[in-house]
Amino acid sequence: MSAAADFLRFDGVAIRLGGREILSPTSFDVARGEFVCIVGPSGCGKTTLLRAASGLVTASAGEVRRKGVKMSEPSREVAFVFQDYGRALLPWRTVEGNVSLALEAAGVPAAGRAPRIAEVLGKVGLAKHAQKFPVQLSGGMQQRAQIARCLAQKPELMMMDEPFGALDALTRQSLQDELARLVREDGLTVLFVTHDLEEAIYLGDRVIALQANPGPGRPSLARMIDVKIPRPRDQLTTKEHPEYLRLRRELFAFIEQSHD
Amino acid sequence: MNGHDRGRVGIVMNRLGSLAVLSALIALWWMASNAGWVSRVFLPTPQATFASLLEGLNLSGPNGNGGHGELLAFTQATVGRMVQGWLLASLFGVLLGAAIGVSPAVRAWVQPTLEFIRPLPASALLPLAISIFGLNPGMVLFVVAFGAMWPVLLATVHGFAAVEPRLSEVARCLQMSRAAFVWKMGLPNAMPDILAGMRLALTIALIVAVVGEMIASQSGLGQAILLAARAFRASDLFAGIALLGLIGFASNALLALAEKRLLRWQQP
Amino acid sequence: MTERRFLRWLRPWVFPALLVGAFEWYARRAAALGSDALAPPSAAAKAFVGAALDGSLWQATGFTLGTAALGLLLGAVLGVALGLVLGLSRRAARLGSLSIEVLRPVPSVALIPLAMLSFGFGVRMELAIVAFATFWPLLVLVQSAVQQIEPRLLEVSRVLGLSARERAFKIVLPAIVPRLFVALRLGVAVALVVAVTVEIAANPNGMGYAMMIAQQSFDPALMLAWLGWIGVVGFAVNAGMVLLQRVVARRMGVLP
Repeated sequence: MSAAADFLRFDGVAIRLGGREILSPTSFDVARGEFVCIVGPSGCGKTTLLRAASGLVTASAGEVRRKGVKMSEPSREVAFVFQDYGRALLPWRTVEGNVSLALEAAGVPAAGRAPRIAEVLGKVGLAKHAQKFPVQLSGGMQQRAQIARCLAQKPELMMMDEPFGALDALTRQSLQDELARLVREDGLTVLFVTHDLEEAIYLGDRVIALQANPGPGRPSLARMIDVKIPRPRDQLTTKEHPEYLRLRRELFAFIEQSHD
Repeated sequence: MNGHDRGRVGIVMNRLGSLAVLSALIALWWMASNAGWVSRVFLPTPQATFASLLEGLNLSGPNGNGGHGELLAFTQATVGRMVQGWLLASLFGVLLGAAIGVSPAVRAWVQPTLEFIRPLPASALLPLAISIFGLNPGMVLFVVAFGAMWPVLLATVHGFAAVEPRLSEVARCLQMSRAAFVWKMGLPNAMPDILAGMRLALTIALIVAVVGEMIASQSGLGQAILLAARAFRASDLFAGIALLGLIGFASNALLALAEKRLLRWQQP
Repeated sequence: MTERRFLRWLRPWVFPALLVGAFEWYARRAAALGSDALAPPSAAAKAFVGAALDGSLWQATGFTLGTAALGLLLGAVLGVALGLVLGLSRRAARLGSLSIEVLRPVPSVALIPLAMLSFGFGVRMELAIVAFATFWPLLVLVQSAVQQIEPRLLEVSRVLGLSARERAFKIVLPAIVPRLFVALRLGVAVALVVAVTVEIAANPNGMGYAMMIAQQSFDPALMLAWLGWIGVVGFAVNAGMVLLQRVVARRMGVLP
């Protein structure tokens, strides 16, 4: 096992909730700098897997190890982007104040915060809206604000739980491209949960498909597909790329058949 | 006239209409008392009430007998009791409420008892307080503060208990300390509830202050209007009631203003 | 697992039991040292049973509850009526706003001496003050409930050509029933608190007065018994209203 592959390891991670096994023992590795997308129908445990990976939830069996160390509690180096962005932002602080929260938690002295806040807001394109309150922003802008706060943590790993699910199609597309750019610029490792197969192929280096109702002979982790489409990608040409179309067909067929 | 001007005229017309209705009510009062439809023992004339008010506040002529000219002092006494009690109540209510509200464990054990105390009238504690402390200003202040504390405490507990779970998770992801969580998330989150509780507490503080003055014979508007009624001085009675209404109105308006400024982030 | 459920049922009583126990210990010590300001809860319980057996408990409780109910009835009828009018007619609401702003802030206790002067002591005086105190919250809440009726429903009533009376009974009143019961729940709480307060301050009838008399006769056990009973009655009445309000909300399709 190379050191890069040891960056994040899922070792027989199983999760039981309310007496039911949501996730059967699942193992896979994530290399540094990889963009891994996790897809699957509702109830397959993809969100729960992400939360276990970030330490918000403890696995019932198995371990998640980051750089060899077991993840049992959340850490500042692992950022988490929630789907319900409206509820993850402090409504009484401005965009600037919300980003500042991450820096305050990390102990950055007051003097050093402003430049870092400005840098991160510039990256997500919210520089002009720094003094607005979340209630004054559109959905897409609120999600960007949340991403900005996560970036301010200077994380090694970013967990994203269906971050664009609650947004309209156009906003989703532009945010996808912005995310891809940010990840490339900062060399982030990303675990991205989505129910949108096309989004998963578009964004990911690898797509992991989970299936619901695991049981004997039916593991949660059903398929792992490498996405060998060159970067940078764009909404128009990539989606006509033969490899993209092939993967799309393969994944759709798989999801259909696992939907018994 | 463009739309903006029309809007402005509309607002002025509304205010005038409202004023007209109020004036009509006062005119009705004037007629009922001056024409004797209702005995002047129970319903003094507006002019007599106004005269009592002026005299009581030392704004007209020399003092008459005993109770006159001291309305200002009485008002100060009542307002002082109300405000002091309210400040104490708010301080302890927020501190205790935060301590209880932050910990789900403490809440589970203590909340049912709080719910039992909630419907209890604050004035019901006066006999017990008289028994312990005797008839003195300190006793009244104690009951004012104790009675007014509960709305603030209950509201604070609720505000801290109802932190958006997503924000708690964000705090865990950022590895925020407990103290930082309480100060940066719990308290601002509880602010709307706390302010609403403080508004209710102010109303209770005024009521208990007045009742306390009445039964403990403490100098203030409460005692003043009681004595005025007993001596059949209807105009002094009405003057006192008007002042109490004014205190209620002003204190509420000030607090509403403060609330608006502190909760600016709620307006889209 | 029933052991767990039993413990859960027991839990709300632990903290108050501790408080009562501590108070019992403290009051006994104080009595031993000669103070007659406090009485232990055990003595209060005895006094309570005594009052229950000789009828004074029920008479006073009946007075307070009955007067509060009558006052609430009056205040609610007037408050709901005016609230409906002000809610349906924006013009009326605007015209009445200043008068309401001037009259509403008067604390109900300030009217105690006036009621005393006009009605003497007894039911009428307390009833009048309870009516005044409950009139305002009901007015405001009903007005707001009417103003928040789904405008679509009112448009439907116009399209269907309903008469004003039909509109009131078939659309407006049913639409506001859930929030009306929320307002009534608040009204009941206010009525009870104001009734007891009037009895403490002036009226020589009812639970508040019984508690004052007990204190003035240096009978701390009976005073504490009344204090506890007032608490219990208030809690029970409020809990009953919450239940009623929930039942109504479910019937009217507000709660699932």
